[in-house]
Amino acid sequence: MPTSALHVARTGLEAQDARMRVIANNLANIGTTGFKRDRVDFATLAYQEQRVAGQNSTGQTAFAVGLNLGTGVQVQGTTRIATQGTLNATGDVLDLALDGDGFFQVELPPGGQIGFTRAGNFTLSNDGTLITSQGFALQPPLQVPQGAQSITIAPDGTVSALTPGNAEPTLLGQLTVASFVNPAGLRAIGDNFLVETAASGPAELGFAGENGRGQIRQGMLEQSNVNVVEELVEMIEAQRAYEINSKMVSAVDEMLRNANQTL
Amino acid sequence: MDRLIYTAMTAMNAAMDRQRVVANNLANASTPGFRQEIFAVTPATLQDGSLEARAMARGNVRGADMKAARVVPTGNPLDVALEGKALIAYQSPDRQGEIYSRRGDLRVATSGVLENGEGLAVLGEGGTPITVPPGFSISLAADGTVLASDPATPTAPAEAIDRIRLVNPEGSPLAKGIDSFLKVPGGGVLPPDPTARLTPGALEMSNVETADTLVQMIEAQRAFEQRAKIIATAGDLDEASSSLMTLR
Repeated sequence: MPTSALHVARTGLEAQDARMRVIANNLANIGTTGFKRDRVDFATLAYQEQRVAGQNSTGQTAFAVGLNLGTGVQVQGTTRIATQGTLNATGDVLDLALDGDGFFQVELPPGGQIGFTRAGNFTLSNDGTLITSQGFALQPPLQVPQGAQSITIAPDGTVSALTPGNAEPTLLGQLTVASFVNPAGLRAIGDNFLVETAASGPAELGFAGENGRGQIRQGMLEQSNVNVVEELVEMIEAQRAYEINSKMVSAVDEMLRNANQTL
Repeated sequence: MDRLIYTAMTAMNAAMDRQRVVANNLANASTPGFRQEIFAVTPATLQDGSLEARAMARGNVRGADMKAARVVPTGNPLDVALEGKALIAYQSPDRQGEIYSRRGDLRVATSGVLENGEGLAVLGEGGTPITVPPGFSISLAADGTVLASDPATPTAPAEAIDRIRLVNPEGSPLAKGIDSFLKVPGGGVLPPDPTARLTPGALEMSNVETADTLVQMIEAQRAFEQRAKIIATAGDLDEASSSLMTLR
């Protein structure tokens, strides 16, 4: 029991350490296309009830206040803050940005699960399929015939191109955009990809601009939504909170040392 | 001398408990909406007719300090900071009655229930959790009204589906329970506050003031040391008196 203040302070150190890690990850991904910053959610740990308010203090009277001692803090999870990142014009016709909610769907290793991403830096594979920089194909797959020129992707995802021998543009297909009931519930697996979980609910597919889905902007990339100033302020706050908790550890340590030496 | 050391021991225990309360406040210095706890020690005097010198120290948590904390803008439309003294009513985790909190980092769970960062369901005016229709996007008005709009009909005006149950704690008893949530001791609910206002897009942080709390920490530490000193002195006195009695 007497050392419990030490453990309470320890929970504070651990929580601030985890928060620092999240801030570091946000800052590290400041230049990552389509990255969404995470925020740490803290929650108070359970309380230990030493004396219940209302319990009898004598035969006739009762304690007006109780003695509930808290056991510290924990990191309950991280929330992805889904605010829109800045759209940057890149001039590359295969760079796509989503202006609004939604995700592009990508088949992670061929035959594998579907990954969701907002990073729209696509390229063409040697057989003309639209792929991510890792080589994963966009779903449903989009094939661009050889020699196709001036590929145009409309805000609703309609893809058309001029093919050799045709004066009129040929319709190549229409991109679909996935949306979720709770996009914050998606799990990040790295490489800019998110995957579906029970918390996010199943993907609802549709065309860009429909049912609240964002529109596709060709020739643009969505930057990360990390705000350097905000992260730096958070970083200093986490650092100070870490320091005061470590101060508490040394204070309790001194108390115990003093008791050991004096008594 | 035994009496002196027992009295000092109760004071030492109280100082350690105080340090624990301070440690818990410091640990929660970044928990949104956290209300710091105030620790107080009362003397418990044994009245046996003689000198009233045996006042045992008995520590207790006097409850939560409801002072307002700083509000930070977050840009997240579902984060709400309450104005004045109002509290948001949440469903107790055991679904028995309601609990209150200033913590307003709201989100929509997969089930459609509006909940906060701790997973507590927000209660509506009828006292039942607010459920958002599937696929609807919601926004919050300054009086706590939850507005839902169907993305399929973007031109239709947003429809008010419920209002967050905002309550006024003034004039009512309020205590922090063992689960760290504020509630009315012995059960009961607080009256609704129709004038309560909230600010969407901002979050109220913990009201722990670190400089003040660090001073409390040093105070508790020194108090503990003084009591240890009293016990040591009691030991010396005891030894001196027994050596006086020794026949050489």
